[in-house]
Amino acid sequence: MTLGADVGVFVISIAAGLIGALAGVGGGILIVPALTLLFGIDIRLAIGASIVSVIATSSGAAAAYVRDRMTDMRVGMFLELATTSGAVCGALLSAVVAPGVLYVLLGIVLLFSAVQQALRLGEELPPATVSSPLATRLRLRGAYPDSRLGPDVPYVAIRIPLGFVLMAGAGLVSGLLGIGSGVLKVLAMDGAMRLPMKVSSATSNFMIGVTAAASAGIYIGRGDVDVTIAGPVALGVLAGAMVGARILPRLSNRNVRLVFLPVLVVIGLQTLARGLGINL
Amino acid sequence: MTPGRFRALVSAVLIVGVVASAALIAVGFAGSLMVGWQGSLLGRGASAASASDFGGIVDGLAALRPVAIAQAGIVVLIATPVVRVATSVAAFVLEGDWLYTAITLGVLAILLGSLFLIR
Repeated sequence: MTLGADVGVFVISIAAGLIGALAGVGGGILIVPALTLLFGIDIRLAIGASIVSVIATSSGAAAAYVRDRMTDMRVGMFLELATTSGAVCGALLSAVVAPGVLYVLLGIVLLFSAVQQALRLGEELPPATVSSPLATRLRLRGAYPDSRLGPDVPYVAIRIPLGFVLMAGAGLVSGLLGIGSGVLKVLAMDGAMRLPMKVSSATSNFMIGVTAAASAGIYIGRGDVDVTIAGPVALGVLAGAMVGARILPRLSNRNVRLVFLPVLVVIGLQTLARGLGINL
Repeated sequence: MTPGRFRALVSAVLIVGVVASAALIAVGFAGSLMVGWQGSLLGRGASAASASDFGGIVDGLAALRPVAIAQAGIVVLIATPVVRVATSVAAFVLEGDWLYTAITLGVLAILLGSLFLIR
């Protein structure tokens, strides 16, 4: 690439890292179309760079989220058990399952979830609940500091088995299709387990790096990670994610959902279009 | 280990990984502007290998090739979440939390297993 193209990729990657850090997703939705449509880069290398960008978003943002108590590490580790086993099964199944219909199904699920998210736009915190025996046993409850609501806003995970199954499904889908792992994680934590939006986003961010690292070796082995492309992407995404991680604690949960909703809609439409054979 | 120190430790692992990775990629990029991606900062001849081939990374580092330096940055970036999980295992052990030690060991086993699966 020319130096000008490198600078362009770098700037777009900063935006991808920023949005990814706030919404709890990897930067793939911005990185892949930008690299292919604006810079004419082969889709295979664009996807290789986007896997690297997911890990960059995750580690760049999580360093601050973990320190600031935005990430719930027990929730993250518990659910990583589900996503990593799902991802391995998905990678194994990808040789025998035709992805077309899966893209359509996932697209529809994501767009339905977008409607559900839209209905929840005014909500600042999920309704207060008491801790179940399972949540107590697994210590899936805690408190996070909120610049508006107080230094210790308590929360408890509910519907833990449902959340675990959804996370395994999120891992399976991302192992099969290589997309959607971040949005599905946020949806499982916010929608099913009813954690506060900021905790859901920060914990998803913490987790997506592990899921992506589990498959990054496959992409490198195939020769899909070209360092002349993935390098500038990683640098830009890291910078954007570190800035985003400093903004999130100052936003209200409502505003975080306002960032997440359009990301969800775009990924849902992209996924549906891909399933119908339209490449965006 | 207190929860505060646990968080500080995991956060430190992530910061070290991210900074080391960014530094390697930035040095590789700066080097590519001087001698080209496949050139050598030691003045050796250019390599013919593609920038997406990580097989020549060790030889490339020995010749200070920008492509290999940046590739090392990508490898450090990918290794960071794995090291973070391994650190969490140690931290849960120090906390005496055996349930989460087992859960985190399970995640680490699946992660490392997946690396062998792809070979």
